Amino acid sequence: MTKKIAIYGSYLARVPVRQRYWKKRKDGIKQRYWKVTKRLKKVVMSGRYEFYGKGKDLYKAIMKALKVVPKGFVDVSAEMFLIDPMRFGFEGMWIDRTVESG
Amino acid sequence: MTEQLNQDKPIFGFSDTETIKLDFDETSFKNVKYWAQRVMKWFKLGGYVILKSSKNSYHVVFNKSVSWAENLKVVAWVALQSQNRGLIKWLVMQCIKKSSTLRISQKSQKHSPRIVYRDGKQDDQIESFLEFRKMLKNYIRKMETKKPESSSDM
Repeated sequence: MTKKIAIYGSYLARVPVRQRYWKKRKDGIKQRYWKVTKRLKKVVMSGRYEFYGKGKDLYKAIMKALKVVPKGFVDVSAEMFLIDPMRFGFEGMWIDRTVESG
Repeated sequence: MTEQLNQDKPIFGFSDTETIKLDFDETSFKNVKYWAQRVMKWFKLGGYVILKSSKNSYHVVFNKSVSWAENLKVVAWVALQSQNRGLIKWLVMQCIKKSSTLRISQKSQKHSPRIVYRDGKQDDQIESFLEFRKMLKNYIRKMETKKPESSSDM
């Protein structure tokens, strides 16, 4: 098993606002639907990266991870992350806030 | 909970499954040393190193390489015997993640953990942990020197 670098904490992310709406079905029942609007809202979320791989890749991945915050719990090789960081995260900003220890 | 929006740095840690690690919160050094010594002798773990993470909070890393099942067995044994609430909570978190993690960087008002005591052999997992810690600390130092150009507000 490999040794990994864990990068975790809370971050401020801009996520699209979801809006609910109702539509009357043919059978008369009002069905609730959600649509993703273009509007963005700021939310505080927490997530975690676990990187493994070679030293140089790890360093590059860490630098990248400062600006690209994780989508939940991401366990990926540094090399893979560097190929397409947006697949594993999205743009956001890390904030200093108390989180459960790693 | 305190938020400082100008500080855009996550927490860095070391994570693996084969190194036995313990995280004692609100425990005196004397107590931590007692448990480290007892666990080392009972499970024949070779050696240990104690790191102080903040006031009355300590991390312990053992030298012997073990499987994940064995690792959990040891940590659960200590948590049960010592009745340390912080350690029990930490153990539950590690079980959810399926690997154990210890912090290496600083965290809000807390400094990065520093070594305060060593005992026994240090040639296996402790050596690799310390190497990894050194590497990560170097990265963090490099990152801090680069930081001024990249600070931006959302």
